[in-house]
Amino acid sequence: MPMDKKKVKLRLENISQSYVVNNEVRDAVSNVSIDVYDNEFLVILGPGHCGKSVLLNIIGGLEKPVEGNKYIDGVKFTGSDKRIGMVFQRLALMPWKTVMGNVEFGPRLAGVDKATRRKIAQKYIDLVGLKGFEKAYPHQLSGGMKQRVGIARAYANSPEILLMDEPFGQLDAQTRIVMEEEIQRIWQQEKRTIIFVTNNIEEAVYLGDRIILLSKCPARVKQIYEINLPRPRNTMDPEFLRIRREVSENTDLAL
Amino acid sequence: MSRVKTAAMSSSERKAYYLNRLYMILPVISVLLLLLLWTTASLNSDFPSPVETWNRLIELFERPIKNKTIIGHTLASLTRVFLALAFNWTFGIAFGILIGWNKKCRALFTPLFNAFRAVPPLAWIPLITMWFGIGEFPKALTVIIGSIAAVVVNTQAGLSNVQQIYLDVGTMFNANVRQKLFQIAIPSALDAIFAGVRTSTSAAWMVVLAAEMLGAKSGVGFLITRGMDSMDMPLVLMSMAVIGIVGAMLAVVTQFAERLICPWTRKRSN
Repeated sequence: MPMDKKKVKLRLENISQSYVVNNEVRDAVSNVSIDVYDNEFLVILGPGHCGKSVLLNIIGGLEKPVEGNKYIDGVKFTGSDKRIGMVFQRLALMPWKTVMGNVEFGPRLAGVDKATRRKIAQKYIDLVGLKGFEKAYPHQLSGGMKQRVGIARAYANSPEILLMDEPFGQLDAQTRIVMEEEIQRIWQQEKRTIIFVTNNIEEAVYLGDRIILLSKCPARVKQIYEINLPRPRNTMDPEFLRIRREVSENTDLAL
Repeated sequence: MSRVKTAAMSSSERKAYYLNRLYMILPVISVLLLLLLWTTASLNSDFPSPVETWNRLIELFERPIKNKTIIGHTLASLTRVFLALAFNWTFGIAFGILIGWNKKCRALFTPLFNAFRAVPPLAWIPLITMWFGIGEFPKALTVIIGSIAAVVVNTQAGLSNVQQIYLDVGTMFNANVRQKLFQIAIPSALDAIFAGVRTSTSAAWMVVLAAEMLGAKSGVGFLITRGMDSMDMPLVLMSMAVIGIVGAMLAVVTQFAERLICPWTRKRSN
């Protein structure tokens, strides 16, 4: 896709966040401005505890920034917005609800009638490959399946922008690779603007149309990479490895 | 049959099979041991034996006390318990939700409530008797006072410990405060609320017997007092056994109800 045809979906303007810890002001995010294009798979990459999650929480409206503005389609908004959905890092599935109950939760809160929301939920349960598990409770599912439910739940609320906060960070290596392929498939089937946070460089290069590399704390935009490799990407491809090395050498170590 | 079956099993399967058997037999052994000790203790003394106690139960069917057999008296006690519990489960849970969810209400009521629950239910009986006499209402009131704290404390704990991430999910879905309370906070606190229901049930069953011993014309607690007054030791022992058995059954029933209503708390078996 040529650059000039891209439309800015979400714009972050001079976002800063700081907290008072032990009577001391600590900056978590410092003056971050990002343009996210429509239906783009954007990866935000940075070392651990560098403020990546804070940035996502601000976009999602779970935190208020001390400074800065956010815009969807050029219109300023504050707080949470129903056009934005989130897949949480920790498994935030409601243990008292079945897979169906979890996935239809968003439409249900929005007052969608039962038949319609069941249809919506079923569509996304099928999309993430959980057909047949509608009546299972989260404790009966594996880690990868739980995260599939998390993705279906976020999709079912029909958001235009999907935030993913290290969704595969707690999965074992094998499951993680499968889920990276899956999220790519799901996104290609149901295009949304995705902002995906990770600290895993290979995951970032594998998934991202672009990678925004953040510095260590306080988070600043350090570098933006465009990845023009065809999908699905081969992690052993020389070009893949070259980009991976380039990003890797530029990444701050967090200890 | 079992020998044929066990012969075909591997050694670990066989071990599991015998362990399972053992776990089924152990409870029976403890009851048999109790009966044995009880019989031995009653051999050369006035203490009634299990057989005499059982006979007293049969006799009570033939010659009811105050027109009630043991079933009538047990039902009388249970009626008081469930009247009180119906009140507690309604208002205790509502109050627990209020002080668990709203920090201002918690700050307002916590000191009073802590002082209230430090007063044992027995200490309320004289006051309640002076005010209301010895009818049905004062007994139910005593049971309410004696078992409401368990409901309130557990409900409040469940509501104030709702994980932030569940509420964040609500925020992402634009839930309003009412939806966050009814769709997220209360369901996530259901297992804690049920712990309160269980504890309050056993507390109510204990308090009702105490209340009945201090003036009543029916109930298992009344039977114990009657036995004491008429030096009828088999009646006392029989009543105590009934109290124990009914209490254990109540515990089983509430546990079953919890599994039915909160299926997600069921742990993976095997």
